Amino acid sequence: MIDGVLQGVATALSSYNIMMVVIGCLAGTFIGMLPGLGPISAIALMIPITYGMEPSSGLILIAGVYYGAIFGGSTSSILINAPGVAGTVASSFDGYPMARKGQAGKALAIAAYSSFTGGTIAAVFLLFAAPALASVSLSFQSSDYFALMVLGLTAVAAFAGKGKFLKAAIMTIFGLMLATVGTDSDSGIARFTFGRLDLIDGISFLLLAMAAFALSEAMMNILDNKEQTQKERDELNKSIGSLKLTRAEVKDMAPTVARSSVLGFFVGVLPGAGATIASFLAYGMERSFATAKEKLKFGKGSLRGLAAPEAANNAACSGSFVPLLTLGIPGSGTTAIILGALVSYGIQPGPTMYIDNPALFWSVIVSMYIGNVVLLVLNLPLIPYIARLLTIPKQLLLPLIIFFSLVGVYLVTFNTFDIYMMTMFAVVALFLRIIDFPMAPMILGFILGGMMEDNLRRALTISDGSLSFLWERPITLTILIITIILLLMPLMSEVYAKIKKAKA
Amino acid sequence: MTKNTIGSLFFLAFSCFYFLNVFNIKKMPGNHYEVMTASTFPFYIGIAGIIISLIIFALSFVEKDKDYLSPEFIKSLDFKTTSAFVASMLFYGFTIRSLGFIIATIIFLVTGFVLLKEKNMKRILLISVGVSVGFYLLLNNVLGVYIDPGMIVEYFAGDES
Repeated sequence: MIDGVLQGVATALSSYNIMMVVIGCLAGTFIGMLPGLGPISAIALMIPITYGMEPSSGLILIAGVYYGAIFGGSTSSILINAPGVAGTVASSFDGYPMARKGQAGKALAIAAYSSFTGGTIAAVFLLFAAPALASVSLSFQSSDYFALMVLGLTAVAAFAGKGKFLKAAIMTIFGLMLATVGTDSDSGIARFTFGRLDLIDGISFLLLAMAAFALSEAMMNILDNKEQTQKERDELNKSIGSLKLTRAEVKDMAPTVARSSVLGFFVGVLPGAGATIASFLAYGMERSFATAKEKLKFGKGSLRGLAAPEAANNAACSGSFVPLLTLGIPGSGTTAIILGALVSYGIQPGPTMYIDNPALFWSVIVSMYIGNVVLLVLNLPLIPYIARLLTIPKQLLLPLIIFFSLVGVYLVTFNTFDIYMMTMFAVVALFLRIIDFPMAPMILGFILGGMMEDNLRRALTISDGSLSFLWERPITLTILIITIILLLMPLMSEVYAKIKKAKA
Repeated sequence: MTKNTIGSLFFLAFSCFYFLNVFNIKKMPGNHYEVMTASTFPFYIGIAGIIISLIIFALSFVEKDKDYLSPEFIKSLDFKTTSAFVASMLFYGFTIRSLGFIIATIIFLVTGFVLLKEKNMKRILLISVGVSVGFYLLLNNVLGVYIDPGMIVEYFAGDES
């Protein structure tokens, strides 16, 4: 393990890769700051650029973009109360009131320091958790993987929120359906291609991700036709104030950041949970830990109320890499996109990745930490200047985002059919956004679809066509029991709420 | 209609279309000896899609907090500009080969800026030409990705290829 870590450190600390982290963090911050564009869009926009790079450099760039986008999202949350990503919504609860009180600089500094600490604690956990889980998962068989994928997809739906379970479930199935388009990997038979050669290789994940996120977000902005208000522009032009924190403030926030980081990491490891749930849970936890006097400050500019979600969402981002790197199973929309990028580099993440590709495995983990340092050292002082990006008029920004999305996909295949297909998917995604159907489960279903079918086929072949593989192995059975519990959870919580209401 | 009713009908139609097309997947000789064929997985997810859409459809009539797609909300959306943008994206796909990357991109960006009511013509031209030529040079000369500049540029530049 030590050799692997050293190889990873050497790879991550090469001047080229450090440059990639810096570029990634800056680009991610820029993109993440734009309301509506989150880490998924930021990573999707970057993937075409990484195709010509070494896999480790490409992945390091993507990791930088991921962290940068989360930080950028926090910046727009704090400055104009417009979270770029769902994971930073909780940061706006107390960050924006602080900015309105003239403490925007302090709020941004708290966000950066808390994110850095969250990222550091999570990186240490990741250092130990990832190899441990990888060695356990070496004993996994295709039936276990199939069950894990079912669990992952179910968890995404289960954590989708009240009343959204079925919507997330149908979106997952939609993703699975789209994944079956193209040539069947086992028999070589074309499926759902309608005689078109352009569909023989299936739908490109980059095309789908770009259409569902970057393109449809930009089109949603056009459809929404909401002008940036003069008030928002004035707020951005105001001085952001001092970035300094007092010793007493740091002392006050330290336990909050530590607690939220640990919570964030473990929530991030769970498939389907991710940064959004982690940040809300951390905010809720801190509120319940606070004294009656401190509780009153929540929602009005509490330092703890800002530090908690910031530390948790960053730790959750690192946590979400655990199932991706060790099992090859993404737990969120963002890690699903990263998995797609890895597969396109010719790398299949899984338990053997840290044995076969130690430099890549560890360099990604080390670069996540470097990314956190870059965000603190480079991005924080630059924030007053980067935030000017938010003043660029929408009419200039949106056509450029659409152009980069279209060209990013076109440059991979040089096939104009991809532009037509992307436009069609973007229109469908736009329609689904209007009626509030979530996009992340679809991309997760799409990414896992092929793997799920392959593992099911293998498991069925081993068990000679019998479904007994579902209960013969204890690991498979345990995972499936957890899946059933997750499936029943929304129903159980509703029944519990009714009983509680009846008693009251 | 509620948002869930509309969504469920969309997915019901899509799932039915998908499920019916499962039967068009070709079968290999000796197919019946296989434990899983090319159509097995699509068959079951097609059924799952139909069942879940029907559940959402049924529940959309009994749910307490109905989320309607109100006419006011629909009216507030700018479908005209969005449709024009969709058309310009399709036109970009249509022209990127024939007119070449640079000219097609300039046309696309100018159209986009004008559609979104940018009035400063100097700014429009500067950004459109700057981005398309700059991106072309970056791809060709720095990243080593060759893009066909297009017939018109080749004609004026005297390129024989």
